[in-house]
Amino acid sequence: MTPVVTSGTDQDIDGPEESADTGYYVYGVVKPGEGRLPEGLTGLDQQPVELVGSDTVAAVVGRIGLDRPPGRRAELVAHSEVLDALAATGPVVPIQFGSVMEDEASILDVLIAPNEDYFAVLLEELTGRVQFNLRASYHEHVVLAEVVAADPEIAELRERTRDLPEDAGYRDRVRLGELVARALEDKRAYDAAVLMDAVVPYVVDHVPREGAGIDQLLDVALLVDEERRAEFEEQLEGLAEAVHERIRLRLVGPVAPYDFVGGQ
Amino acid sequence: MTVQTSHRRGGGYLERPAPSGLADVIEIILDKGIVIDAYVRVSLVGIELLTIDARIVIASVDTYLRFAEATNRLDLYEKGGKDLSEFVGDMAEGGASKKTSGAVKGVKRALTSGSDDEERRPARKSSSRRRQTEDA
Repeated sequence: MTPVVTSGTDQDIDGPEESADTGYYVYGVVKPGEGRLPEGLTGLDQQPVELVGSDTVAAVVGRIGLDRPPGRRAELVAHSEVLDALAATGPVVPIQFGSVMEDEASILDVLIAPNEDYFAVLLEELTGRVQFNLRASYHEHVVLAEVVAADPEIAELRERTRDLPEDAGYRDRVRLGELVARALEDKRAYDAAVLMDAVVPYVVDHVPREGAGIDQLLDVALLVDEERRAEFEEQLEGLAEAVHERIRLRLVGPVAPYDFVGGQ
Repeated sequence: MTVQTSHRRGGGYLERPAPSGLADVIEIILDKGIVIDAYVRVSLVGIELLTIDARIVIASVDTYLRFAEATNRLDLYEKGGKDLSEFVGDMAEGGASKKTSGAVKGVKRALTSGSDDEERRPARKSSSRRRQTEDA
């Protein structure tokens, strides 16, 4: 591998010089090439982004002071903005938020060189595909009403505890909550599978995401072919309408393919 | 790109928020992406604090009490003139859509029929189907 370093903009001379105090914030990995970096793209601390890597795979990085005071909101937003801008113009493999490497040598030797083939394959797979995050949640009162109507023991415990003062009927309350929690789990498993059956034919891949809450039903990242995106969105629109009395569907995206790069 | 491009708003039931707030961004990116080996990585200070404590530990007494409380709060709907079974029955019937595809109709049937039937079970677990469509 012949390491080459290409600069994303011609003004990166303005950035802090590479020294013991500055490193590189790493956003992601792309296939380098003419025009791969959106013009004037800046990231954390308004530093211009640049490419560091080989001629097949390069890290998208920006200079960052290693002793900079911690910040959070601005960094998160900048990280996601850079990645989404990159995803809008081609495949990108996101690197986990907060990854800083000391110098160009470590980017080349530790990040790029040992993983070049892996990144190249991944970038190939992600070409022409975008990620959406789908969340389904119940209308809480509707699903709880179903649970109460379906189980006489739940209905009975509810009758017994609902008008008691808050400090009374503790055991009955815990039992009631436990039964409701279990009933919701069953309901969730069933409904999530039904929803996924309607979605899976329209996606390339899917990965569950973490979610929680009484009303939570399904949280999933979906990888969608650009070519089928309209069809996919239409299907979800119809699905949302079909289930809207019990369930809300929320679709976020397209976003960079955070959940489809095998991380962790 | 997180800014929504134009999209059809069919029935308008599908929510399409543009992730704008900090919480949305955290939700999308936190813990996601390729991890570079820890010894060469210098994490920005303070990031751990971001792991927001929004997750409920399902098997705790506190959670059960929350579920019980939510269930007991339901009287609002009951006193609205219908009893619960009527309410559920209505849901099963109402809201037939004019223009849903066959697949979506199937979903509606599956999701609204027999909602008090204890026997229904998912055919398969959705989480076990990761990558099955890969070679399709």
